[in-house]
Amino acid sequence: MKSVLVVSQAPEDVGELLNAARPFGEPAILAFQHSAERAEEVAEYGHIVYRLRSDRPEALLAAAKKLYEELRPQLILGPSTKNSRDGLALLAGLYDLPLASEVTQLEDAGDYVVYSRGFMSERVIMKAKVPKPAVMLLKQKAFAPSEKGGKGEIVELGAESSVRLLERRPKEFSGIRIEDAQVVVGVGRGFRSKEDLKLAFELARALGGQVGATRPIATDLKWLPEDVWIGISGKRIAPKLYIAVGVSGAPQHMAGVSDAKVIVAINKDKSAPIFKYADYGIVGDLYKVLPALIARLKK
Amino acid sequence: MKDIVVLVKASLNPEIVRQAAEGKFDVDYTPLKISDIDRNALEEASRLKAVLGGKVYAISVLSWGPVKARDKDVRLAVQEALAKVADEAYLVEDDEILPTDQVVVANAIAALVKAKGLRPAIVLAGEASVDESTSQVPARVAAKLGYSFVGHVNKILEVKEGRVVVERDVEEYYEVLEVSLPAVISVTQSINEPRPPTLIQIRMASKKPLHGLSAKELGVSKPRRSIVEMKVVTTTRKQVVIEEANVERAVEKLLELLEKEGVLK
Ligand SMILES: Cc1cc2nc3c(=O)[nH]c(=O)nc-3n(C[C@H](O)[C@H](O)[C@H](O)COP(=O)(O)OP(=O)(O)OC[C@H]3O[C@@H](n4cnc5c(N)ncnc54)[C@H](O)[C@@H]3O)c2cc1C
Ligand SMILES: Nc1ncnc2c1ncn2[C@@H]1O[C@H](COP(=O)(O)O)[C@@H](O)[C@H]1O
Repeated sequence: MKSVLVVSQAPEDVGELLNAARPFGEPAILAFQHSAERAEEVAEYGHIVYRLRSDRPEALLAAAKKLYEELRPQLILGPSTKNSRDGLALLAGLYDLPLASEVTQLEDAGDYVVYSRGFMSERVIMKAKVPKPAVMLLKQKAFAPSEKGGKGEIVELGAESSVRLLERRPKEFSGIRIEDAQVVVGVGRGFRSKEDLKLAFELARALGGQVGATRPIATDLKWLPEDVWIGISGKRIAPKLYIAVGVSGAPQHMAGVSDAKVIVAINKDKSAPIFKYADYGIVGDLYKVLPALIARLKK
Repeated sequence: MKDIVVLVKASLNPEIVRQAAEGKFDVDYTPLKISDIDRNALEEASRLKAVLGGKVYAISVLSWGPVKARDKDVRLAVQEALAKVADEAYLVEDDEILPTDQVVVANAIAALVKAKGLRPAIVLAGEASVDESTSQVPARVAAKLGYSFVGHVNKILEVKEGRVVVERDVEEYYEVLEVSLPAVISVTQSINEPRPPTLIQIRMASKKPLHGLSAKELGVSKPRRSIVEMKVVTTTRKQVVIEEANVERAVEKLLELLEKEGVLK
């Protein structure tokens, strides 16, 4: 009998998941989306590894269902990625298991699991209690990783999927780690064209920083790659200085910059919510303010 | 099989987070609004309705109580669905299940679809609600009904004989999938640009049937999640606003302030 089924999607997530699993008992690992070599790496934590040769949520459901029936775990742990969410929400639906995602704290309370997670675009922390068995999907980096040790057995699982995959296109990324930058200039829909973003890049250069973006700039307009998208569903950053330009200040965006030391807003609409979330704001047209700011910094 | 069901949630509005004593989240005084991405689901429903030619049903389960205090807000969300595209709407409102959890919501929706004999080709939903954002209700509904499920869809490319071809947006890649119908599809905010309903549509909406239901009628039990506490995360900012007709002067002021903060290198 295993008490916890840990669903790992990448060698980087497994340490955190195993650490969170520890108070709940002995884990078995379902390695999903792992190559044979990566499964070897996961086995170095010393627990049995079931390797699923697929990266589809439907295949994850089928494998997790089989292991759930066999092992009868009290807790199913996984990352909060889209494939893991989709596969494990299907499992949760099938057995009426409670499920929470982006979990930041976890406690074993006998027949119950007590957990915390961000709620209302992370402006509220909700602590709740659900009966076991339950599915808990962890927020990345919320738990400290555990150390490797031992050598677990690897069991290969067959994949079933009723869905026909016709095509897959990798996304293009910039490779820029805005989460490491001390200064970030955030661009929003206040910019009228992709070309105009050069103003933001010039400002970032003058300050020795990087350029980040709101969701629509990265996903709808695709003016910038998704790895510079800031917010609850994008990157979380904690620079010394964040300058939001033509950004309205939606709570889902601001959740990504709440740890910035100083926030500056440049927006032409005096009533834009961003001014409530900023330390300093200039009410003005970015097409006038940015050139003036750049000129002054270059002096 | 050409009908569509759209799931619409009245979510607590994260733009208006009210705080009570000791940093507690004042859930009772935070208003509900239609969950943003459900507007994209409604927009996609009107596009698909033109292709499929069937009827559109909206379903909403009230998640936050008490019913008396929330009835107006949730009806506003359902009215928007009726105005925009739905021919009929079902609203589950019941103090017995409030505040609810996602197990109960999904079970209520699935039970309703069965009890009312709805036979949708496609169930549309948002990829995440704006208050809880757990992305689980659509998958749960699919599991309960035995339908196919695809999450995070940013394009519905083709609907043909019992199948739908969609593009799904995952963190690292896009993928094109063919899925058999009936299917539950959760959509992203990028799938379309939702247009607000027209005045005529809004006026017509009040004439369309809106059926109220209780949890008991659907045979769903009480939620098993209990909320222990909800705390507001407070980060107060200085909120100094520079309003200055002269741009050079505004910029000068800003730089002085940032210099004092020590955030310019
Ligand atoms: C579940 C969910 C998750 C989400 N996750 C994220 C996320 O992770 N990150 C994110 O960013 N968003 C996210 N969003 C979207 C978010 O709600 C907003 O829609 C988005 O952040 C708005 O982007 P914006 O500020 O660029 O555009 P808008 O809201 O359109 O704001 C543009 C602003 O520019 C100003 N402006 C216009 N012209 C000028 C000018 N010439 N000079 C100066 N100012 C000007 C306007 O006054 C306006 O305030 C999410 C939404 C949902 C529902
Ligand atoms: N109470 C509800 N009533 C109707 N639909 C809902 C409800 N809760 C969630 N949904 C649907 O499921 C989607 C995802 O919600 P969630 O699983 O809470 O992130 C929402 O965008 C809605 O389309």
